[in-house]
This record gives sequence, structure tokens and C-alpha cells, in this order.
Amino acid sequence: MHTDAAPHRPSPSLATWLIACLSLLGAFALSGCDKPTRDVYQPVADSAEISAWFYHLVLAVDAVILAIVVTILVVAIVRFRKKPGDEELPPQSFGNMKMEVAWTVIPTLIVIGITVPTLGGIFELARKPDLNQKIIEVEVTGKQWWWEFDYAKEKLNTANELHVEVGTQVILNMTSADVIHSWWVPRIGGKRDANPGRRYPFYFRPYQVGTFDGQCAELCGASHALMGTRVIVHPKTGADSYEAWVAREQQQAQKPATPQQEAGQKVFMTKGCVACHTIRGVSELAVGARSRTSGPNLTHVGGRTSIAARTLPMTAQNIAKWVKNPQAVKQGALMTNLGLSDEEAAAVGAYLASLK
Amino acid sequence: MASIADFARAPAPTYHMARPPKTGLMDWLTTVDHKKIGILYGLSGLFYLLVGGLEALLFRIQLAVPDNDFLTGEQFNGLVTMHATTMVFLAVMPIIAAISNYFIPLMIGARDVAFPRMNAFSFWTFLFGSLLLNSSFLFGGAPNAGWFGYAPLTGSQYSGSGIDFWWTGLAMLAISSMVAGVNFIVTILNMRAPGMTLMRMPVLVWMILVIQFLLAFSFPPITVGLILLGFDRTFGTVFYQVSMGGDPQLWQHLFWLFGHPEVYVLILPSMGIVSEILPVFTRRPLFGHHAVIFSGVAIGFMGFGVWGHHMFTVGMGPIADAAFASTTAIVGIPTGVKIFNWLGTLWGGKITFPTAMLFAVSFIPMFTIGGLSGVMHSSPPIDLQQHNSYFVVAHFHYVLVGGALQGLFAGVYFYLPKITGKLLSEKLGKVHFWVFLAGMNLTFFPQHFLGNHGMPRRIYTYPADAGWNTDNMLGTIGVILMATATLVMVYNILTSWKKGKPAGNDPWDASTLEWMTTSPPPVHNFDFTPVVLSERPLWDHKRTPGFEIPVPETSESIHMPSNSWRPMLISVCILLIMVGLLTHLWPLCIVAALGIVAGVYLWVTEPA
Repeated sequence: MHTDAAPHRPSPSLATWLIACLSLLGAFALSGCDKPTRDVYQPVADSAEISAWFYHLVLAVDAVILAIVVTILVVAIVRFRKKPGDEELPPQSFGNMKMEVAWTVIPTLIVIGITVPTLGGIFELARKPDLNQKIIEVEVTGKQWWWEFDYAKEKLNTANELHVEVGTQVILNMTSADVIHSWWVPRIGGKRDANPGRRYPFYFRPYQVGTFDGQCAELCGASHALMGTRVIVHPKTGADSYEAWVAREQQQAQKPATPQQEAGQKVFMTKGCVACHTIRGVSELAVGARSRTSGPNLTHVGGRTSIAARTLPMTAQNIAKWVKNPQAVKQGALMTNLGLSDEEAAAVGAYLASLK
Repeated sequence: MASIADFARAPAPTYHMARPPKTGLMDWLTTVDHKKIGILYGLSGLFYLLVGGLEALLFRIQLAVPDNDFLTGEQFNGLVTMHATTMVFLAVMPIIAAISNYFIPLMIGARDVAFPRMNAFSFWTFLFGSLLLNSSFLFGGAPNAGWFGYAPLTGSQYSGSGIDFWWTGLAMLAISSMVAGVNFIVTILNMRAPGMTLMRMPVLVWMILVIQFLLAFSFPPITVGLILLGFDRTFGTVFYQVSMGGDPQLWQHLFWLFGHPEVYVLILPSMGIVSEILPVFTRRPLFGHHAVIFSGVAIGFMGFGVWGHHMFTVGMGPIADAAFASTTAIVGIPTGVKIFNWLGTLWGGKITFPTAMLFAVSFIPMFTIGGLSGVMHSSPPIDLQQHNSYFVVAHFHYVLVGGALQGLFAGVYFYLPKITGKLLSEKLGKVHFWVFLAGMNLTFFPQHFLGNHGMPRRIYTYPADAGWNTDNMLGTIGVILMATATLVMVYNILTSWKKGKPAGNDPWDASTLEWMTTSPPPVHNFDFTPVVLSERPLWDHKRTPGFEIPVPETSESIHMPSNSWRPMLISVCILLIMVGLLTHLWPLCIVAALGIVAGVYLWVTEPA
């Protein structure tokens, strides 16, 4: 036979395989210890539910296929290991036409079975909602590194936290002021890119009241990881209803109530903040002055739950920290470091936090 | 019965060379021998595999715990960009090039590739491009816009000079790959030994042939894209600038029209390697040999029609989404055919498990997991959630690490004895295999959960309350295991090369032509041109009466290509053009361009 064969060492025993597999399974059991707050498969809106339905369909098919492949593999490995001393050749089979046809036709049928409903799902997600019903339509603009939400019909403008109403159809028109971003709140629905120069709709109807987190899902620069967003789904009635929120937001900004807040307003007016920010009733940017680099509307900033796109919780101290040195909180942030003193920063913090 | 010892009877051939061969370092710098070029590719690929791994280790340390500040966002973005760019272009592709270079001529019974100097040119252009790309770490920071470098983030108003190194470096790699693609297509189609019909060609050669077509046709779109990007950044054009009427989506289409075939460039050779190794260690032929070949060709063709599935979130509209969803799902069919044919090869064999076989067998379930999660991404409603999440990271690492890289590791243990003449240590090989397999699954399996729990990819930090802590810690531990395993492999290669057991010509009792010559093979590969009588020429020579490969009585006269420094001259000039573009030194570009003209003149007039 062959002249210089390599010495084949004995193969690993079955026990080795089993131990390896079991210890890996043990490690996987660990994952899942954490309680996820953004589980894609706990939908709270119709859009996420369609995604979840297709996921479970394909997951079931995949699980069956993987089980078949692994079973055949394991049985083959166990059953057809070469016995020591057995030098006889196995049957030299070059293939089997019937089997080739079978494992071409069966996957084809599976693919058709998945693809046909998928096509329905694509058009379902893209279907324009009936415009004769109540609709909340929001212009969403991604910016490095925050989200602008403009409610044209309600004439209000806010940032990072999107307010909607349970059971009411929402249309988000996604665009970007600079690079490509992607708006993703997993429990609401799949992500949609915010492309500069384009405006593309995302439809969803939330069916659960609550607060749902998400963040930008397209690499957009140094602080991509700090471009959070949050959806607040309001009930239809009560003090916390969507309509009550709209009414509050439509009011002019509150007047300063303490000397420190007064000082903060003065800093805001004189140190350059007004070049980029609007506080309705105090200083408004002309529409033409809004640009790639203009910052969030602060009229009711104190009513938001976080600042700097969910980078810090909303407190007067955090605002002071942020305005004192924005780049220390968020690398590359476009907000100018105005060189405020600690006292000025604290005053601005107190003032802005009061703008509920 | 015949044996491979018969081949030693052939009389030594006589050589003709245009110039006397060089020795030592000068020989390596001017070599046109496909085997030496293969070794150079292999060493570079191995080096960059370690570099890419180190980059991964650094950003996994950052991600081990929430709210970590080991790296800044900018550094993290640079490391993830360079990790992916390095692994795809500088590690996996060169290791594939190493195996193609060294083994394609041996497997088809040829003396060398069709254009030996073009082969050297491919290597030097690759090497200089890779060095240019990595020099960005020293000059102003690594590229940091992700490996698919989406416009307009790569524009000069959003990104620093790292992107200039990125596009010039990648453009050089693209030139190298396109030239190599043409070279190998011509080699495989024209230089097969007598009797080696296309259907008698080993599956690995077929898969390499398919990927050369993919390289030749998919690198032009990205090269165009890179040049447009270079013009935008260097000369102020506006191809990707919205405010001036440009379109960033143009980049995405050009990139993915390259990017998806590129994925198949990375995986098909490993499928070929597995298709070579399984029959050897089951002692029977590859089940459904023709079906495996045709499904590989089909995957290659379909690769050009599915790029839009990377863009479902962009807003191409439901019609385009539906079209790309359908074409993508169809790729699952030939992939399934391959998997079941590999299982069919195992079933009924007499299987032994040296390290090469362990990697080849574990390729099957690991690649299957990656393939099945790929089926999910073909469905836009699912993909809208999974796109750019850790689920996708898990998916493509199962395909590229569990698939492509494990296949290449199998290839290292299987083929390296032919190159070094020494067997690798099986003991260390098994340590490598088990530790790597455990680390890989520990890192990438929990990432499916991370994606489903809403963690986007490429974020340098995450809050402690999102529920991502355990899975990220497991991922970091897994990467440490993978890194350890890879170092074991490097140690194994180095020690076995020096003092491993001699391999002999045919250590695995294999069936293809490369095992009939010595290990390492002589510079002319074979003392005589083999005649191929079946799809398993060496197996049948050893076992089937009437199929012995005839050994000639007379000495063959061989014309061997001579060393040449012209290929490297042209590569250096291309590098200088890129440096001129980076530094805006236009005279340097002009001088270097004239250098290319001179180099081509010297090349075509050089006696070969």
C-alpha cells in the first residue's frame, strides 16, 4: 500500500466529546441570567409583532434542520469510526442520484414555504396606513448624536424621547442631517435607517403603555454608542395621556422661579447658547438658522427623563456637568464648550431642569 | 500492486532557465516560484491573523463589563474597523491565496501558474497595500468608519486621515486580487495535466476557480467605489455628498455588489478543503462529487444577485426588498446540498480523526448554524430587527470563524506537511482544536441572545441595566480561549517545521496529485508530467489495476521561469502613487506613474 503513512493517534473517546459539549451547554445556560429590557421578541407594537412572528416561524424550521444535521453527524461519527486493526476499505460509493434529488427538492420546498409568507410580510410592513384615522406623524432627524422629533401638525419639537399614544397609528418620517443613522427601539419594531437627503416612512401602532428604550444602530462616529432614544407610549385618557402631554409641550417655557434659575436664563441668553438652541418664549432660532449643527429644542427639556440622548439621567447637576464640558461626557460632541464657570454651569442646570 | 514509490524511478528532468537562480534573501524578494509565493502569502496571512486577533482582544476587554472606559469611542471604532478589514483582506484572503498558490499547480499537475511574474506582482502589491493600511496606526489614527465604510461618514468633514489610508490600502489589495483572479482562471483552465478533465478536477480546485471569477468580477465595483471616495476626499468631488446632489446609497450598492460575493470568496475555499479532507479520512470518495461542484458554482453565480439583503433597512421599497429576499433564500438550496453530501461522505465510511479531520468535521455543524441564521436574514421582517445587531455578528462569525477559518485550519494541518516535509504535532493540534471550538462557541453563541435583546453592533459601551452583561463577559472569555488556541497553533507550526516527524510524500494516503511528489516538492514540482485517468488519480494508482499513472523512461526537459525584480518594481510604484495621493505630493504621483510605464516596458522585454 502506501509507503510512509503518518501514525494516526487514537481518536478522542466518546467521553471527551460529551464532556466538551456539556460544559459548553453549561456556559450557555449562564447567558440568559440577565433580564433583558429590550427583548426583540416581547413586542409592544404591530411592527415588532410581525417581525417576531416570522422569527419564530424560521426558528422552528431552522431548529428541525439543525437537529437533523447534528443527529446524522453524531450517529455517523459514533457508528462509522474506524475500528483498530480494521484495514479493509469501506464500500466506495460515489453518490446516489435519488438522494441528491431529495436533498435538492426538500430544501427548495422549505425555501418556498418560508419565502411566500415573507413576501406578504414585506408588503404588510410597507402598507401605508389609512389616513382617515387619527394619526401621529413625526419627522425624525438623526444628528450626531441625538434625535430630533418634529410634530408638524401639533407644532412642537422635542428631542430623543418620542411620545405616542397607545392604539394610535404612528408614522415616523426618517431622515438625517449629517451621516446615516438608524432608529431602533426593539420592542416597537425593526430598525429604519435615517438617510441624509431622503425621507422614508416607518409605520407602527403601539398596543402597550410604557417606556421603551432603543438606540442608534448604524455606526455614525465617535459617540455612536451614546445616541440613545426612548419611546413613551401614553394612555388615551387621564393626567398622563398623550393629549395632556401635547397640551403641556405646546405651552411657552416656564418663567424662572428662583434667583439661580434667573441667573441661568441670563447665561443662556448671553453666553452663546441661543446660537443653536430654542426655548420658546425666550429665544427662538429662525427656521433658516436650523442646521446640521443646531441643537435640541429646550422649551420643555426638564420634562424629559434624560439628557444628551439618554447619556445621563435628567438632573440639574447632570446638565451642569454636560454644559461645562460636553466632550468629557460624549467624545466628539458638537456642542461648544463655552468655558462656563462652575457657578454659571450650575445656574444653567437649575434653569433648564426647571423647564418641565 | 503499484505504489507511489514507483514515481521515484522517473529520471530527473533537465532545466532551462533564462538566468541563473538567485539565493538567500534576494531569491525570496525576486521569486516567481508559486510555492515560495505561497509561503510568503501564508506567513503574511498568519501574521495578520494574530494582528486581527489582538485587535479583537482589545475591544473585547472594553466590552467585558458595562460602562467601561478602557477605550474611547474613537479608539474602539478604529479597532473594530481594522479587525474586520484585517481579518477579511489581510488574514483569510492571503491564507486562501497561500493554499491556492502552493497547491493549485500541484493539484492539477502543472509546473507553475500561467503568469509567474504576475503572481509575484499580486503578492507584493498585497503586502505593500497591507502595510500602507496598517501604517495608519502610526500616522494620525486608524480608519474608523466600519469595514464597510458607509458614506457619508467616510467624507472628509466627518472622518480623519485614517480613511485615506483605508481607501488607498484597499485599492492596492483590490488590484492584487483582480490580477490574481485572472492569473488563476488562466492557470486552471489551461494548465491541467493531460487527462484531467474539468470533472476530474479536485473539488478544492473547482472552488478556487469559482472564487477567482468572483474576485475578477466583484472587485471592480468596490475599486470604482473606492476611487470615487478618494476623489471626494482628495479633490473635493461630491459623489457621496447629499448637499451637492451626490448619493451615499451609491456607495452601499457598489460596496455590497462586491461585499456579498466576497463572503463566498471567503467560504468556498474552505468548503473545497473540507471536500478534500473528508474523503481521505473516511477512506471513501466524496459523496455526490458532481453535485458538490455544481452547488459551489451555483453559490458563486447567485452571489452576485443578493447584495440588497444588506440594505433592507435603507428603504429601497417593498419591490426591491421582495426581490432580494427571494434570491437570498435560494442560496440556501445549494448550501444545503453541500452539507448533506458531506454527511453522506461520512455515513458508511471508516473514519479516523487526526486534527485536520476534527476541524473539517466541526466545520459542518458550525457552518450549518451560521447558514441557518442566514436564512433568517433573508426575510426582511426578521432582518429589520437583526440587522446591525449582535445577532448578525453571531451569524457571520459562525460562517467566517466556524466555517471559513476552521476550514483553513483543517487545511493547515492537512497541507502544511507537504510544504515543510514535517508532520505537525497531533497532541498540540487537538489542544488547538478543542480550545478553539469552545472559545468560538462561548463568544459567538451568546451573541445571538445579545442581538435578540437589542444590543447593536459597534457600540463601545453599554449601560449596566440593559441585560447584556453576562453574554458580553462570556464573549470576552471566549476570545481569550481562541487567542490561546491560535498561539498553540503558531507554536505547533514553528516547532514542527524545525523538528517535526518527517511526513513522507503521502502522509494521509490521499488520492490527489499533490501527494505523488516529494514533501517539499522540487522546484519543478514533478519529475514528469502525470497522466490523469480518473477523478482520484493517486488513489486509483495505488489500488485499481489498469489505472496506474505511467512513469516515463526518458528524462523530461523543463523550462522554468527565472527570478525577476520587475514585479516588485511596479508594486513599489503603485505604493508611491498611493503615498503621493495621501500626502498630496503630486510630483511623486507623476514620477511613480512613469515608473510603472518603465516597469511594464522592462517586464515585457525581459527574457523569461
